[in-house]
Amino acid sequence: MRTVYLAGVGYTKVSEHWDRSLTELAAEAALAAVRDAGVERVDAIYFANAAAEITSHQMGISAIVSEELGLSGVPSVRVECGEASGMAALFQAHAAVSSGLAEVALVVGAEKLSDLMPEEFNTVFSMTLPYETMGFAGVTPTAIAALLYRVYMERYEVPQEFVAQFPALMHRNAKGVPHAQFPFEVKLEDVLSSPPVAPPLRRLECTAPCDGAAAVVLVSEESVGGARSGTVTKLAGVSLRTDYASPFDREDPLHLSSVALSVEEALLRSGIDRDELDVLELHDSFSIMAPLVLESAGFSPKGRSGLELKEGRFELGGELPINTFGGLKARGHPFGASALYQVAELHLQLTGRAGKNQLDRAKSGMAVSTTGFGALSGAAVLIGGDSA
Amino acid sequence: MSRVKDVAILGYGGYVPRYRIRASEIARVWGRDDDALPIKEKSVNGIDEDVITMAIEACKYALRRAGIDVRRIGAVNVGSESHPYAVKPSGTVVAEALGIPPTHLSADLEFACKAGTEAMQMIAGLVSSGLIEYGIAVGADTAQGRPSDALEFTAAAGAAAFVLGRSNGDEVATIEHVVSYVTDTPDFWRRAHERYPRHASRFTGEPAYFHHTVSAVKALLEETGLKVSDIDYFVFHQPNYKFPYAAAKVLQIPKEKVDPGVVTNVIGNTYAACSPLGLVRVLDHAKPGQRIVLTSFGSGAGSDSFLIVTREGLERKRNLAPLLDTLIARAKYIDYAQYLRHRDKIRTS
Amino acid sequence: MRPGIRPQEHWRSKRFRYMLEVLRCANCGTVNATRRSVCRRCRSTSLVRERLPERARLLAFTEVKSATDVHDEMAPYLVGLLEFEDGTRIVAQLTDADYEELRPGMEMEMVVRKIAQDGESGVIVYGFKFRPVVS
Ligand SMILES: [Zn+2]
Repeated sequence: MRTVYLAGVGYTKVSEHWDRSLTELAAEAALAAVRDAGVERVDAIYFANAAAEITSHQMGISAIVSEELGLSGVPSVRVECGEASGMAALFQAHAAVSSGLAEVALVVGAEKLSDLMPEEFNTVFSMTLPYETMGFAGVTPTAIAALLYRVYMERYEVPQEFVAQFPALMHRNAKGVPHAQFPFEVKLEDVLSSPPVAPPLRRLECTAPCDGAAAVVLVSEESVGGARSGTVTKLAGVSLRTDYASPFDREDPLHLSSVALSVEEALLRSGIDRDELDVLELHDSFSIMAPLVLESAGFSPKGRSGLELKEGRFELGGELPINTFGGLKARGHPFGASALYQVAELHLQLTGRAGKNQLDRAKSGMAVSTTGFGALSGAAVLIGGDSA
Repeated sequence: MSRVKDVAILGYGGYVPRYRIRASEIARVWGRDDDALPIKEKSVNGIDEDVITMAIEACKYALRRAGIDVRRIGAVNVGSESHPYAVKPSGTVVAEALGIPPTHLSADLEFACKAGTEAMQMIAGLVSSGLIEYGIAVGADTAQGRPSDALEFTAAAGAAAFVLGRSNGDEVATIEHVVSYVTDTPDFWRRAHERYPRHASRFTGEPAYFHHTVSAVKALLEETGLKVSDIDYFVFHQPNYKFPYAAAKVLQIPKEKVDPGVVTNVIGNTYAACSPLGLVRVLDHAKPGQRIVLTSFGSGAGSDSFLIVTREGLERKRNLAPLLDTLIARAKYIDYAQYLRHRDKIRTS
Repeated sequence: MRPGIRPQEHWRSKRFRYMLEVLRCANCGTVNATRRSVCRRCRSTSLVRERLPERARLLAFTEVKSATDVHDEMAPYLVGLLEFEDGTRIVAQLTDADYEELRPGMEMEMVVRKIAQDGESGVIVYGFKFRPVVS
C-alpha cells in the first residue's frame, strides 16, 4: 500500500442555499479543493451524498457531478452511507490511491436538505434507521436519541447538563466561523430551555436541516511533490466498520462498537496512539452522540466525558480539543458532506490555516463519523507538519 | 323458525376505547340545554383506533376466554357500519392479526346497528350445520354523527366479539333460539360516498326501533313458549338511555331485568357493538343457568332476538380477560376540540 | 413526498407487524425480526418462526413531537424501549397512555393499532404498539 496524502480542501458555507442546487454546491467545494491542492489532473471522483434521489430527483448523480466539474470522462462514483457517506467515500478514495488505481482522487460530499418540508426532512432522517423494524412504526432519530439519552443518564447517574453542555461547546467553537451554519454562542441555559422535541432531548440538542458541500483531494506519495508545501497532510489511516442497525440489538446500546473498532483500526493503521492525537472531530448529530462517541472510542471513561468537558479538557485550549469549528451541531450537518467537513477542518488545523480557531502545535487529528447511531462508523487519522 | 342446535358461546370479549366525551361538552358547543341530553357520556376511539383495531382487541379477549386453538376457527364475521375501507374487508385483517389460518370464511356485514348480532346468527348457523368447528362474530363501530345532529350526542366507539362452537362442557353459554324480524323501513340511512348518516327524526322511534324490537321479542317468546317471568335478563339495542326501558315497558319487563345490560349512559351507542356489549356486561355479572334474551335493532330496519342460557364455564372464564366495567372505568375525558381530532372531523387539506 | 406506504411492502411485513412474528435462531437464540437467510449473530441457517410474547417491560420512553410524512398526523406520540422476558428489546410506539402516566419498569401489552395511513385514499398500515396492561 502506498502512503496517501491530503493535498487540498474546499467547502461551502453550511446554510440554506435557496439559490443553489445540490451539484452546484458540490462543484463549488470540489473546484476549491482542486485549486487548493494545485493538482492538474483528477483520476477518480467519489461523490458522497445521502439523499439525492429524494432531495434532487436524481440517480446516477456522480456523472452529473463530473460534468459540472468539467471532468466528464473521469470515473465518478456516488457513495451512500447515510450520515457517514463522506467517511465512506474517503475510505473508497483512500483505497483507490493507496492501491495505485488512481494518483489523484477527488472526494466531494454534498447534501441539499433545505428544500424539504419539515416532515419530509424527518422522513429522510428516519431512513437512517432500519425501516422494517423502526421506520415503518414512526420511530424517528429524535426518539432513538432520546431513549439513548435516558439510558445514559440513568446508568451513569449524570444530570442532563452534562450532556446538554456539548452543544454549548460546539457553539462556542463556531462563533465567528465563516462557514458555520450557526456561528454564534448558545449558552447551556438556552439549550436546556429550548422546546423539547423528544424528552429529554431539546431542540438545541439537535442539528437542523441545511445545505453544504465539502471536498478533499487525495494524492499518492509519488504525486505529492506537485502540491504546495506546507499545505499537505498525511491521511495516515482510514477505517470503516458496521454494527447491528438498532442500538438496542447491540450488547450495550451505549457502546458504539463500530466507532470503537474503526477508531482502534485507524490508529493502528496510522501507527499512533490515542493519546498522541491533538484534535478530534466527532459526530454530534445529537448532543448525546458526543459523549457516546468519546466514550465508545476510549477517549473518555464511560459516563465521564461530561465531567471532562466541564473541566475544560475538550475546549480549544484543552488537552483534546473537539469539533474546533463547531461540529455537526454548530458548523452544520449536511449528511453526506459532514465527514468531509470534519476532515477538511482537521486539515486546516494541521496546516496552520484555522484562523482564529487555530490550535497550538496540532500535529495529528482524527475525524469520527457515524450513521444510524453506530450502524456504520468510520474514522480517519491525519498527520501534519514534519511527520507528513 | 327452529331451535338452534348445539351452539355455544365459548368465549366473549368487549372492548371500549379509553376516551370519553361528556354529552354536556357537546351541548356546550352547540348551545343545547343540559337537562334534555340522551346519555351522560360516550366513548370515543383513540386517534389510532378504528373498527379493525377494536375488533382485534375484542377478539383477543374472547379468545382468551374461549381457550381454543385459533387454527380451528372456520369463520370470521365482522359487522359494522364504519368499516375503515369501503372496499377491502375488515375481517381479513382481524383474522391475520389473530393468527387464524387462511382456510376460513370471511364476511363483513352491514345492517346499521344490527350487524353484530347478524354476524352471531350466521356464525351460529355455520356451527350448527357442522360447516365449521369454531367461528368468531364481531360487532364493532366508530359511529359517525353529523356535528350538531342529535346523533352526535350518542354515536360512539366499541366492539364485542363472541367465539362460537359446539358445547364442549366448558362453555360460557348456549344459544338456544333465535328469530329475526325485518322490514323495509327508511328511518336512518347513509348513502354511498356520504360521510354522515341521515335520519327521519321521530320516525326512528315507534315504527322503527319499537315495532321491530317488540315484534322480535314477542316472536321469540312465542316460539319458545317462555314468558317474561322465565327470563332473567333482557338486553336491548340502546341508541339512548330511554329506549331500552321504553321497550321493556311495552313488553311488561321489570326494570331490574334490563338494568345490567344497559351501558349506553356511560359509553353511548356503539352501533353494531351496542346490544352485544350489553350482553357482554350481563355475562360479566350473570350466574350459570340463567336465561338472557338479547335483541338488537338496526335501522332500515330489523331486529334479531336470541335466547341465551348461561352455563357452568361462565364463572371460570369471566376473569380470563378484563371485565367490561374495568374497560369503562379507565375513562379519559377529552374536550370537543380533541374529539374532533379523534373523529377525523378537522379538515387539514 | 410519500415514499412511505406501499401495499406490497406492508403485506410482506404483516406477520411481524400484526403478531410480532420473528425468526429465532435455533443455534444461538438471537431474535431476527425480519425475514433473512442467516442468523445475524452466528450465521446459522436454522431459523425458527416464533411469536414474541404480548407482554414486555418498559425500559425508557419519550414523546415524538414532530414525525415523518405518513406519521405526522398522529404526532405527538409516545415511543418506548421495551424488553421481553428473554431479553429481546424492541422500540415501538406506545398508546392509550399519557406521558405523565408512564414509568420505567411498567408492564406493557401489545395491541394492534393504526400506525400510518397514506392520506384519505391510500392503504392503512396496522401494526403493534404497546400500552399499559389493562386487567
Ligand atoms: Zn444465531
